[in-house]
Amino acid sequence: MPTPVRESREHPIGTLAELPPGTHRVVRVANRELGVFNIDGTVHAIPNLCPHQRGPLCTGSVSGTIDYGPHTGWRLAWIWEGEVVTCPWHSLEFHVPTGRCVAFEDITLRTYEVRVTDEGELRVVI
Amino acid sequence: MSEPTGRSRERLEDLFVVDADVHLHEDPAQLAEFAEPPWDVALREIAKVEERYLDLPGLSPRAEYRIPWPGGSNRPQTVWSAASMRRELDDLHVDVAVLFPDHLLSLAMVREPAFAVGVARAYNDWLAERWLREEPSLKGAVVVPPQDPAAGAAEIRKHAGNPGVVCAYLPAAGLKVLYGNECYDPVYDAAQEAGLPVAIHSVEAVYPVFPFQLEQFRTAMAVHALAHPLAMVANLVSMLETGVPVRFPQLGIAFMEAGTGWIPWLANRLDKEYVERRREVPILSERPSHYMQRFSYGTQPIEEPERRGDIVRLFELFDGENRALYASDWPHHDFDHTQFVFGLPFSPEARRKIMGLNAARFFGIEPPA
Repeated sequence: MPTPVRESREHPIGTLAELPPGTHRVVRVANRELGVFNIDGTVHAIPNLCPHQRGPLCTGSVSGTIDYGPHTGWRLAWIWEGEVVTCPWHSLEFHVPTGRCVAFEDITLRTYEVRVTDEGELRVVI
Repeated sequence: MSEPTGRSRERLEDLFVVDADVHLHEDPAQLAEFAEPPWDVALREIAKVEERYLDLPGLSPRAEYRIPWPGGSNRPQTVWSAASMRRELDDLHVDVAVLFPDHLLSLAMVREPAFAVGVARAYNDWLAERWLREEPSLKGAVVVPPQDPAAGAAEIRKHAGNPGVVCAYLPAAGLKVLYGNECYDPVYDAAQEAGLPVAIHSVEAVYPVFPFQLEQFRTAMAVHALAHPLAMVANLVSMLETGVPVRFPQLGIAFMEAGTGWIPWLANRLDKEYVERRREVPILSERPSHYMQRFSYGTQPIEEPERRGDIVRLFELFDGENRALYASDWPHHDFDHTQFVFGLPFSPEARRKIMGLNAARFFGIEPPA
């Protein structure tokens, strides 16, 4: 038997005007909580659930993070400003656009596409 | 077919959960209301200073330097009233919790003994009046100022009759004389006589007293990883050296907030030494690990091994099923959520003991029928 494929649907989650660049908020949609982030005009969505101890990840603050290695010329570098959300429970960091956990490469959160209609409505694809 | 998990048989909400370590926030202005002169004046002066997390000049001095990177935890890490604490513990499904202080975690670093005693007395009276009386499911730890063990013993005797008081709290951070020293005998005498256990609790500190000379490390990761367990190791070894559990056989002793990974290491290490050097510690008639098996240990911050099952193996190495006390450390930065500890692959029976029954026995808290 082939596995039935669930069709993805668009769900309204407010307007772009309510989410200026540099802000983020948590929305409830389709039985889940998502964090919605406007990063430089592009809207991203990830689950509001930290895989560590199930904390409300997206109620945390957004900033950048620190990188270091051969690719930074062995200098401390401040990267991803405005793209990293930090869990308010234990400060585990995630790169919002990719869902990647900064500390553990093997953990990547699901990312959701958010479409903006001509009228400025936000619709998340689930 | 997969085996049923503990969680499918029993839900956290159905379990009796005792949280052996949560932190209230002691507002110096409120402590001033309960302090004797002239310490009330000093506490009102301290209240004018802006406080940071576990950092308040005059009350919990922090001789450390941290780089203030943005993006860290942004949730409130202080609880100011019994009603707020009860609400927050309801969210964690905690039935009964033992309250420890915030700023007085650093009480041992206060240099003026009379001030340390004055603050401890004010705290204990304030705790009884504003927290224990208001919310019976919150239990109290009487603060013992290590600068003056006789005064600490008097505080234990004064508050022992309060049914809300379940232990005496011995601050370990920056402690100048380790808890095995005979100068603390009056404290242990009073606690044993009152039937109250003692709980040793540390906090991160960089202070020139063993084992807190951590200034060679650059990061909070290093200091925090080492400060708590080293404080427990130092005091436990000191207490075995002078035979505290032999001299006070009825005294319950718990070691809080250092995780549990250090326990099997230390037990094996001491047993090995005992083979060769028993004549130095003739007061011990059994191998040191046997005494360590009579102590209790807070779980938090519980280790998170990459293979989850390793936590069960670790607990087997120190009889954690019977000796571990679930502790959240709420609302501090490294708290462990009940749901997380409950979800670890312990047997259902071990889980019930770790989450509540061990602490009920240790603190003398009546579990529901």
